Amino acid sequence: MNNFATIELVQKYRKVTYYTISINEETTLFQQFINKHTNSNYDKLYHIIRWIEVIGDKIGALDQYFRNEAEIADTRALPPKGVDREPIYVEIDDATEEEHNKPNNLRLYCFKANESVVFLFNGDIKTSRRAQDCDSVRPHFKVANTLSKLIEEAFINKDIRWNKSYTDIIVDEHFLLKWE
Amino acid sequence: MPKKQEDMKTKGNMISQWLDENKNLEIDGFIEKNLAITEKIRLTMEDKGWKSQDLAKAMGKNASEISKWLSGMHNLTLKSIIKLEIALGVDLIQVKTDTEFKYVYLGTIQNQEELIEKVENYEETSDSQTFEVAM
Repeated sequence: MNNFATIELVQKYRKVTYYTISINEETTLFQQFINKHTNSNYDKLYHIIRWIEVIGDKIGALDQYFRNEAEIADTRALPPKGVDREPIYVEIDDATEEEHNKPNNLRLYCFKANESVVFLFNGDIKTSRRAQDCDSVRPHFKVANTLSKLIEEAFINKDIRWNKSYTDIIVDEHFLLKWE
Repeated sequence: MPKKQEDMKTKGNMISQWLDENKNLEIDGFIEKNLAITEKIRLTMEDKGWKSQDLAKAMGKNASEISKWLSGMHNLTLKSIIKLEIALGVDLIQVKTDTEFKYVYLGTIQNQEELIEKVENYEETSDSQTFEVAM
């Protein structure tokens, strides 16, 4: 079966413009991610979404604020981590008001075109050390790598072009990413 | 509690809209301040031409520990922040102290001699002094 995907704007901040992808006219990948985790993984999701906003508004998409998830293309994910360390997030216990440092095993796969443009895909809770071994994130990891490769090729073929300042992309209205 | 999420129809503000609808001030503060500290460390290291290994060496820590601290997602303790400040030689956090008083220049008083005479001749009103009230 042939698949096709369109590029959709998520939000433009001062330092980063975020895009997502809609596959076969379905709900965009980033929207699916938000819809699934808003209720079931609220704190973990909030950390990631707020992170996206702060680096988008104040810092820029620097390498150290993403983790490497490349398989066949330069796919990244959020949240970032230290060397061989899981990222943690602070969760406040409403009853005791105690702070707990918990591992954030929610993954959002993405493709960082440069420090000003990032594509946000989908993700899930990671339960194995390697994404390829985890049933919940593996499909998102594979799709993210496929899409990253297609986007890289679209840049090379100039189907996706940079504006003069390399701060945003230019895409023809009817452009589709296609794969089997 | 998070609000039930429906597809956000408005393009171009999906992230802000979700954050507005699911506001969490504690996480907002944690992410914003943690990233501000991490960025200040990164820029100071850039100025000094330091890599993570240099900072690790200056602090007597291993590089993986420092990488974790610099990820921006680590819950840095005040003690860790102070150690970083000493190693880098900069203030990473600044706390403003309350000012008890301060001197403000209001101007110069003219004809001081005349005023001094008035002050010297001034008599305090007595408690027993009575006043006539016009009816």
